[in-house]
Amino acid sequence: MGILKKIITSNNKKRLFVLGLDGTPFTFLQKQMEEGKMPHFQRMLEKGSFLRMNSVIPCISSVAWTSFLTGVNLAKHNLQGFVDRKLNPFRVYIPTARNIAVPTISEILSEAGKRVVSINVPVSYPPKEVNGIQISCFLATDLAKAVYPKHYYSYLKEIGYRIDVDAWQGRKEKEKFLKDIHYTYDKRLEAAYYLMGREDWDYFQLHIMETDRINHFLWEQWESGHETYAAEFDKFYNKVDQLVGDLDARLGNDVEFMILSDHGFCSIKKEVYLNQWLEKNGYLKYKTDAPKSVTDMHPQSKAYSLIPGRIFINLKGREDEGSVAPGNEYESLRQELMEKIIHITDPDTGEKIVKKIYKREDLYSGPFYDDSPDLVVVPNDGFDLKGNIKQPNLTYKGELVGMHTDDDAFFYLRNYDIEPQEFGIIDMLPTIAELMEFPMKEAENFDGSSVLS
Amino acid sequence: MTEQKATNITWHGGSINQEHREQLLGQKGVTVWFTGLSGSGKSTVAREVEKKLFQLGHLVYVLDGDNIRHGLNKNLGFSPEDREENIRRIGEVAHLFTDAGVITLTAFISPYRKDRDKVRGLMKEGQFVEVFVDCALEECEKRDPKGLFKKARAGEIKEFTGISAPYEEPENPEIKLDTKQQTLEESAGAVIEFLKEKGIIKTNSQDAYSDDEKEIINKRLSDLGYV
Repeated sequence: MGILKKIITSNNKKRLFVLGLDGTPFTFLQKQMEEGKMPHFQRMLEKGSFLRMNSVIPCISSVAWTSFLTGVNLAKHNLQGFVDRKLNPFRVYIPTARNIAVPTISEILSEAGKRVVSINVPVSYPPKEVNGIQISCFLATDLAKAVYPKHYYSYLKEIGYRIDVDAWQGRKEKEKFLKDIHYTYDKRLEAAYYLMGREDWDYFQLHIMETDRINHFLWEQWESGHETYAAEFDKFYNKVDQLVGDLDARLGNDVEFMILSDHGFCSIKKEVYLNQWLEKNGYLKYKTDAPKSVTDMHPQSKAYSLIPGRIFINLKGREDEGSVAPGNEYESLRQELMEKIIHITDPDTGEKIVKKIYKREDLYSGPFYDDSPDLVVVPNDGFDLKGNIKQPNLTYKGELVGMHTDDDAFFYLRNYDIEPQEFGIIDMLPTIAELMEFPMKEAENFDGSSVLS
Repeated sequence: MTEQKATNITWHGGSINQEHREQLLGQKGVTVWFTGLSGSGKSTVAREVEKKLFQLGHLVYVLDGDNIRHGLNKNLGFSPEDREENIRRIGEVAHLFTDAGVITLTAFISPYRKDRDKVRGLMKEGQFVEVFVDCALEECEKRDPKGLFKKARAGEIKEFTGISAPYEEPENPEIKLDTKQQTLEESAGAVIEFLKEKGIIKTNSQDAYSDDEKEIINKRLSDLGYV
């Protein structure tokens, strides 16, 4: 691993501020800095390490941040997607913080008597009773239920705090959407600065989600230099740059300062519907002509997919109405699917859609391994794998213009000189444990290791 | 009617108790006692709660006023004494159901406070949940689903609660519903929320959201292309 050289020795309070910029790519920040559009961040490079980082597979914010918060893979923390499945009876549901099976950093530090503040961090709904404050992430539907302790709710309501932007506007009314982005972002910072000034804390994590949201709806316009929206895009990131500079000044050198994202972004060429492919190729059938979800799958089905690129075999003894026998039949079906799916192309352009397919054993281990997907398809950049059913075609160009990539997240740590290395967001909790000089009993379960040592 | 007639009897317990049955069922036995005027919505709310709990995988049973008077209590009328006996029998049945681990919903006018309190006294702490289905007399009369108010006003029914017989409101019900203001969904939701809070039904991880919240979060995630 890298050679650690701390540039400035801090005192022994070992406090840490983490700024999360959801979905902000390493290569994007590099480009903006090269063009002089993010001067504060650029100045930070002289006094810290700025590195490219891997996300998780499948590349989803809720999975990635849960790995950040817990230091383990999804088969240990059990937050497997924005949607997940339960069996017996077969249903699809939206996992929340209640599903996280291991302690998160806020809980670990709380237990040791440290004060924590967490604002908007995925996945933190419903909020936990930490030693400090939690304001839940975008999985909260009602601000009144999103705040711990509850007395901060009236403050947030009074300032007009917003949990998340209205993404529908991102599809339909870009001007309104941009206003919403700025408003939501400004209110988030207002709340953060208020709490920073008021609360005594050892660990503070502020999560900016608006970066991911603007990327989803304006990435393509930024990339292609759209006459209005490229400038609007830059304007928003310029605000983020000012935040970085401002925090740097406010935090002083006795607090460690980490900035990171959870995944990268690229433009969407097409949405891809794996369930359409499975159906067309005879692996998936439905009980009715108008199925509402994969739960209406016919018992003779062999496989189905959940967003993004997760494929589950309809395995006997596991699935409600399994049709594929464990052992040879299961293995040969997985092999067959891998061999066929790797060659899928966009019918319109002939481009190859799939970059790689993983078997579950290549990626996961832990108590929830049995619930993890049997195969995970990773697409080439530009092909956004969806879980929709009954799509007429394999691919479609929709309203979303930006998608996640798994190898272009970033990591910045002030006052440390870290040697370039291959690492991922799963290595962050061990890194934090070392940074804060706080040995965690959970460490023996960690899947990653500190990038400092 | 409630005197103990049989004397040479002994209570027999087996090795299987309520707790064992509750473990088997994945719920706690409870009596949810809906009380209120005729037409206030007791049965309607109880049936909605029944449906929702059943869908969540719970064993639930509704003891309904009219239905019980078809069988177990067919020999009882509406005099104060008969009303008392009616509630006493229902209370005992509900107690047995609760002991069996069943989520028992009862929907009876049960107008007298002392009768309801007697039933509460049969149960262990927390096993009796009194739900006051509050609805103004005028509203109940307007609804009049069985045409009973009309008959009572015409003098065809004697001793009709609210018209010619008293209704004693609960003083400290566990839950108070206002079926004039609340939708059926809201009333049933309030009961289920209470059962969750008290640990009578388990809060499944996938149930971090109510049905309304599920709609909101599904829309948000689908607008983002995540669902």
